[in-house]
Amino acid sequence: MSAWTDIILVSLILTTFWLLGSSRLASCIRICAIQGVATGLLGVVGGGITIRVAAISLAIIVLKGLTFPWLLSRALRESNTSHEVQPFVGYVASLLIGVLVLAFSFWADSRLPSLAHGASRLVVPVAFALLIAGLFLIVARKTAVNQVIGYLVMENGIYTFGFGVVREIPALVELGVLMDVFVAVFVMGIAIYRINRTFDHIDSDQLTLLKG
Amino acid sequence: MLTAGWMLPALVAAPAVLAGLSLLARTPRAALWVGAVATTVIALVAGCAVAQVFMHGPLECVGGWFFLDALSAYHLAILMLVFVFCGFFAIVYFREEIANGVFTRKLARRYQALWFGSFAAMNLVLVSNNLGVMWVGVEATTLLSAFLICIHVSPAALEAMWKYLLMCSVGVALAFAGILLLAAASSASLSGHDALLWTRLMNPSVTLNPVLVKVAFIFLVVGFGTKAGLAPLHSWLPDAHSQSPAPVSAMFSGFLLNTALYCILRCLPIVEAATGNRGWGREILVVLGILSILVAAVFIVAQHDVKRLLAYHSVEHLGIIALGVGLGGLGVWAALFHTLNHSVCKATSFFGAGMLGQTYGTHDMRRMTDVARVSPVWGTSLIGSLLALIGIAPFALFISEFLILKAALNEKAYLAAALFLTGLGIVFIGALGHAISMAWKPPATAPRPLRTHHAEALLAWTPLALLLLLGLWIPAPLRALITQAAAVLGVTP
Amino acid sequence: MSLWNFSYAVLGLLLAPLLPGITNRTKAVFAGRQGPPLLQAYWDLAKLLRKGTVYSRTTSWVFRLAPPGGLACVVAALWLVPVGNFAAPLAFPGDLILLAYLLGLMRFMTVCAALDTGSSFEGMGASREVQFSALAEPALILGLAALAYATGSFSLSGIFGGVTRPDWLQVGPALVLVAAALLIVFLAENCRIPVDDPNTHLELTMIHEVMILDYGGPDLAFILYGATLKLWLLGALLANIFLPLTGFAGPAQIACLVAGMVVVAVLTGVIESVMARLSLLKVPQLLVGAAALSVLGFVLMLRFAP
Repeated sequence: MSAWTDIILVSLILTTFWLLGSSRLASCIRICAIQGVATGLLGVVGGGITIRVAAISLAIIVLKGLTFPWLLSRALRESNTSHEVQPFVGYVASLLIGVLVLAFSFWADSRLPSLAHGASRLVVPVAFALLIAGLFLIVARKTAVNQVIGYLVMENGIYTFGFGVVREIPALVELGVLMDVFVAVFVMGIAIYRINRTFDHIDSDQLTLLKG
Repeated sequence: MLTAGWMLPALVAAPAVLAGLSLLARTPRAALWVGAVATTVIALVAGCAVAQVFMHGPLECVGGWFFLDALSAYHLAILMLVFVFCGFFAIVYFREEIANGVFTRKLARRYQALWFGSFAAMNLVLVSNNLGVMWVGVEATTLLSAFLICIHVSPAALEAMWKYLLMCSVGVALAFAGILLLAAASSASLSGHDALLWTRLMNPSVTLNPVLVKVAFIFLVVGFGTKAGLAPLHSWLPDAHSQSPAPVSAMFSGFLLNTALYCILRCLPIVEAATGNRGWGREILVVLGILSILVAAVFIVAQHDVKRLLAYHSVEHLGIIALGVGLGGLGVWAALFHTLNHSVCKATSFFGAGMLGQTYGTHDMRRMTDVARVSPVWGTSLIGSLLALIGIAPFALFISEFLILKAALNEKAYLAAALFLTGLGIVFIGALGHAISMAWKPPATAPRPLRTHHAEALLAWTPLALLLLLGLWIPAPLRALITQAAAVLGVTP
Repeated sequence: MSLWNFSYAVLGLLLAPLLPGITNRTKAVFAGRQGPPLLQAYWDLAKLLRKGTVYSRTTSWVFRLAPPGGLACVVAALWLVPVGNFAAPLAFPGDLILLAYLLGLMRFMTVCAALDTGSSFEGMGASREVQFSALAEPALILGLAALAYATGSFSLSGIFGGVTRPDWLQVGPALVLVAAALLIVFLAENCRIPVDDPNTHLELTMIHEVMILDYGGPDLAFILYGATLKLWLLGALLANIFLPLTGFAGPAQIACLVAGMVVVAVLTGVIESVMARLSLLKVPQLLVGAAALSVLGFVLMLRFAP
């Protein structure tokens, strides 16, 4: 079963690379959905399926694969953009930074004591890489929708980390976390809608009224 | 036979239910009044819980999911105090807006529902034993309070809300990674549900991997530090606190920041135990505290907006608390005392700033002058609280800051003490300059004097009187409660 | 050192011009056309060899050196590639670097010749070619390094003899990534869609075509033949990873080799028919993406290969 976990983890990295190099917002949202579904499948292919695990995986797949893209697409449709405005860090540089981040995560994992409980050896580096890549996306991209996608990538990384390291998070905590992420994306979607209504753009680089 | 533990879930459930009920309010005034009164009732229940913990030791409920010990009881008491004050102040503050029709019924319902939601979430943070649930509460406070910032939609408010939402969500997500690492660090001894329970993690028989705990603590400090407004992660703070209406700002500065710092304090004993009590974790807090104080000091000097000034004061005081906790020993006791003082004082100052802002129509300090004459009640309250904030004796803040300085000298942390004094000095000069110009500079155009009700004077001056009292005499029960809370953090006086 | 060791080079010299024919026929099938005959490249080479040459007065010996020099490089590289378990005639540890640099030398000579013509048209093509190959080279080297790590050998003969079916099961995901990266490098180095369209002659879109615009007669024949040999070469790298068919006896191994090359040619034809050419600004992103895939494959190999 470890082979399937590896495949999913590799696909998580590939989707992250894809996100780092992609400029069209609609395709970014779709890639994020694929990543979310892959994250949900992690729990199922890890072996030892119980009702609880299956239910939570289903919830994650539905939320991240369907609901979040729908919310983000709606926010995107209301605004006038379809392309990322010129980001702070170019796409080629973003890809190279993604590679560096990956190398750094593998190095960091080799320095930490072994964490994974019989899950794949890739879990911790992939989780770190997703976390840092998500942070990078939030900082390096200007469009508000892309920043929300960066946040979702971070959440995927943290969930992967939790999956690999703490196998039995209580169901209530997992559901609470899921609910928090859902409400976060929902709130951010509404915020983007409001921002677009007031400012007529969703370019957070232009939000510079408050200084000092 | 109900044990006292039932109060803990009730503290979370009651505000949540009230949040739902607020959506059915008839008029804005009714919503605000019900809010204030209900908050007082919940505060009384919480007071009973605090007294119970003080006299008989920690409370537990629902198989260890809920837990209240001296540290969280103390913070709970401060939370209730701040919320009661803010609840009643909201009635005063929105009075004029209701009269103008700006604060509509829809806005009032939304405001009150989000208010109670934030209240419930903060209670959840304080009463939960499970670190994961604590995290859920912190993230919930971010999400629920985000729209409180832009209750009145304006470009600046939206910008502030977006920065707040994104930065705090990202920070809190990093904190979750830290919590997972903590649970992983205990994987040798604990498993599953137990790995996230604070009481289990504090058990001396549990072995924790030191490397993992250190990495976890770094994530936790960065993550929760963002939410608490510690420099250099504080850039959302001035915007969010200055753009929101005054009761919300008071609540933010009064307790929301302390909620995040409380989470760091919760995890500190675990880290200390795992790293051999050498003070590794506390050093990080000292560095961040000093950095916050110095950064805030620089910005305070250059401020023009009174609410941004108060927001930077929050950064400074949170830094002082972090510094105190980091120094250990007497510093912990002083830092906890400072938490109470700062919360009360900051809330009062935001009250004054809010009311005067409504009168003058602006928050620019260069135009808000001669406040004592324009509004004897709120003007003197604002000036008084500003003076208290910069540490003028005999207000209680002076005592707590003095004790932290003493702790620094006790621990032979001379560099920290010197930097602390420098920061305090810069803040003193800068803020005093602002306060003096606001109090006595003759105004360019004299605004109409603010008519105030007698009850408002009570609201404006009671907290200041409390601070004056605490500065001169700390009642023995309070002293004992703070000592108990400090003991949780591993300090024996 | 039996006959089978030489089979790769000999078959390459004989059969390489068949590959463009197969690709073109595949594209014609997709387009519903009849398409040129499979042996068209041979007829073109024969026609060109019979012609005379005209050299511009602005060119120098560099211009005349490039076609035979490039052909010599790629023919030399042919002797480094193995067939299944049969080692190449000139195999030695580290020959994969020699292979990459022989191809680089060929490219260098072509680029110098293009600059030698003194025309800005060729210069533009030369600069694009150099930029893209600079971005593609890390992908190639890292992909080969990943394979070298997986099989523990630094010689191509050891690598392609060593990538067997059990390896696929163990390091499958990593091999897929390396294969994908090498596919993109293959398409880039051979000027195929989505990097470059071999049929276009528009100024804005040419990369490789424009560098050889001034050649005619036998020079052009050498260049075209060299290009087909390059296809054969890189195609073999690709086929050996995708289809790890090793361990057969002599004739069967040859049949596998030819079958692999035909598959690669058809695959190229399919890709060319299905995709459109990428805008020039996006090509660096694609190539850096290929490098990222190589790095990922390399890192995974570090983790999993014993």
